[in-house]
Amino acid sequence: MIPSNGEVLSDIKVLDLSHGVSGPFCTKFLAGLGAEVIKVEPTGTGDSSRQSKPFLGGPDDVESSALFAYLNTSKMSVTLDLDIPDQALSVKQLAQESDILVESYAPGHLQSLGLGYGALAETNAGLIYVSVTPFGQTGPYRDYKGADIVAQAIGALMYTIGLPDREPLKVGGESVLYTTGISAFSAAMLALHVRDTQGFGQHVDISAMEVMTVAQIHSSINEQFGHPSVRRPTNLVRAKDGWVSPGLESGVQLGTWPKVCELMGVPQFAEDTRFTTQEGRRTNQQDLLKVIGDWAATKPKEEIYHTLQALRTITGYVATVEDLLVAKQLVDRKFFRALADPVFGDVVHPGAPFRMGEDGWRLLPPPRLGEHNDEILGGRLGYSSEKISEVSKGGEV
Amino acid sequence: MSTTQTRPALSGLRVLDLSQVAAGPYATMFLGFMGAEVIKLESRSRMDINRGRAKPGPTDPRVYPNGEHGERPYNRTAHHVHRNINKLSVTLDLAADRGKELFLDLVRVCDVLVENYRGSVMDRLGLGYGAVSQVNPQLIYLKISSQGATGPEANYGSLGSTLEQTAGLASVTGYGDGLPLMTNEVYPDPVVGILSFGALMAALRQRRQMGIGCLVDLSQREVTSMLLGESVLDFSVTGRVAGTIGNKHRDMAPHGVYPCTGDDMWVAVSVGSEDEWLALCRAIGQPDLASDHRFRDRDSRHGNQEALDEIISAWTRGWDHYQAMHLLQAHGVPAGAVLKGSETINDPHLEARGFWDVVDNPEAGTYKQTTLPWMLSKSPRQTTVPAAGLGEHSFQVFNGLLGLSAREIDTLVEQGITGDVPNPDI
Repeated sequence: MIPSNGEVLSDIKVLDLSHGVSGPFCTKFLAGLGAEVIKVEPTGTGDSSRQSKPFLGGPDDVESSALFAYLNTSKMSVTLDLDIPDQALSVKQLAQESDILVESYAPGHLQSLGLGYGALAETNAGLIYVSVTPFGQTGPYRDYKGADIVAQAIGALMYTIGLPDREPLKVGGESVLYTTGISAFSAAMLALHVRDTQGFGQHVDISAMEVMTVAQIHSSINEQFGHPSVRRPTNLVRAKDGWVSPGLESGVQLGTWPKVCELMGVPQFAEDTRFTTQEGRRTNQQDLLKVIGDWAATKPKEEIYHTLQALRTITGYVATVEDLLVAKQLVDRKFFRALADPVFGDVVHPGAPFRMGEDGWRLLPPPRLGEHNDEILGGRLGYSSEKISEVSKGGEV
Repeated sequence: MSTTQTRPALSGLRVLDLSQVAAGPYATMFLGFMGAEVIKLESRSRMDINRGRAKPGPTDPRVYPNGEHGERPYNRTAHHVHRNINKLSVTLDLAADRGKELFLDLVRVCDVLVENYRGSVMDRLGLGYGAVSQVNPQLIYLKISSQGATGPEANYGSLGSTLEQTAGLASVTGYGDGLPLMTNEVYPDPVVGILSFGALMAALRQRRQMGIGCLVDLSQREVTSMLLGESVLDFSVTGRVAGTIGNKHRDMAPHGVYPCTGDDMWVAVSVGSEDEWLALCRAIGQPDLASDHRFRDRDSRHGNQEALDEIISAWTRGWDHYQAMHLLQAHGVPAGAVLKGSETINDPHLEARGFWDVVDNPEAGTYKQTTLPWMLSKSPRQTTVPAAGLGEHSFQVFNGLLGLSAREIDTLVEQGITGDVPNPDI
């Protein structure tokens, strides 16, 4: 099974019935490794993410959402309505030829349409069927609805984020849904490993709540050991043009502090016992941040980052998306890639999440809604051109 | 989902694990759950940072069971106990020539090597990918680093919290007052741990196809920046720079956490669709809200969400966070209690799904262990094997796997190259 083009999943066909963020992020990764991904979208409106901000153009244009564009690179799009029995049957036909199916409907919904794991596995025993839901396929909350903020709440990630005198704060953007998609990707790759080596497919159950419970790497264990988890004050200090964390509280060698004092022009603090050890700097964090803040306020954040890192501190600076695109390290590694869009021009995308050998990460523009109806519905399912145009318009077949 | 008895998903896979702190140990913990044999390699002078100090002082910040350091503190820290399950523990001094030889002997019999040192550490030891791939071309070398294996910042140090900054995640996390904030769970670490598993599965498949191993170069900064991909696209076209918006959502409202009975108790609510909005109005006993012109559609609700937040808070204050969640969900509103870690271990849903393993760690006592971010119908996880004491399996591995005699191993112990106690100087 040597792949023709060097891509590790080029022999794999994926049927993507998922929508929103998590499932599509999973299939974006599978497509990135070379799998053929056929994305099934509802006729007319398409995937719900097509209606999500931020929009690159007008909000009423189904081809305008940056969220959709990011999540659906390197995929094909066909429009089919699963509630129409005839079209559900077409989906079933596509599933028969697929290696991996990814879906994110409420548990039991696809089963009610004859598209559950059991029904499909009867004629395609090798099928890997990945279900991505807020709470998983079993258990008392299985029918509950989810969202990014709901998962980080119930999975105890959120309780410790934010300031002590404020309410718990969510991680920004759609990070938690993305992470759920990453879990689905890793689990799909695991199931594929099992199929390659043991010869059978199976049902993969991803619960966003569990992904978050795994992601709280401190709270559950610390609290069982008698150490409460709390929201803490920030250790960021203001630089001239943003924020930095000085990084002197862990992983720093003994000789580093005097050098930092020399750099900041405050040699009097080099022997100050409040600051001479990591533990001291942690205990006296607010005093330390004051000392560093006076110096940092006049310097650009990236200059502080590079200067202090050169002294072997663990310094960070808060990059914005604008900063990311010009960050020397990311530019040097050619991490970001521009994809040409006929309407929006060059659209910059993050690139490969990991690199194996020379290249091998496929990044092609996202499909327009129903772009591959002719190729898949006509070419593979034998729809007539009249039937394709009816399906594309959303009419009853 | 039914469970069929098969051999473990990753049986026969042997992993040499030099990783420490969180991202790497998380990845290898998952590998162990799926049946891989994971050999965690540390040195007596440089233990995994998770183990803390050999002799911690009274103000040591690490977490020990009930604050008690015990006889062997390095086998009892919360982070070690929690992240280093499912692994054999071997000590080996890689600075010593004999240590390097034995390391390469281990490389010869392993499928995967995982490390997350600063960029050039393994090269300086003469044990980088070039050296190990010579003795074992089949080896998959997973290099997890903060910035990637190449580039001007390849040797920069990082923590999960600084990665949240340099990757941009902090710039979109905050209350909306301009101050960026980080998570207290070093979020990039578990994310990268979860992704690393999939990356390894991809590399193993490539090895089956090509008959040769490879270097997997994974940059934590790059992976973390992928969590705000849509904002990267948006900036590149419109010039908009994403910032912090607290618990609000770009599209949806109401969206946030609302106070419940009790101190610091909250419920999270997220209303997207029209159906969910109508369900919320019913759930809080105010069906008339649905016809209030301020809240007539998604955009109006978004524009008037402060008013909406007050109405919802007035209702949530009457319930505890679990009650509020169940009542809202019963009507079809996405809602979740804001749980503490100690509450998740007793949550009935996780309990019913068998998410937790009860582990009896001989050095740290009994506790509930987080397991996996997935469940497979025919490839169940292995039951948690408690985190091993330092060097507990050195003899087993050197003797059983490399064929060293008891006498040779005694000599290694005498020379300090291996052993089960930390170097007293650290």
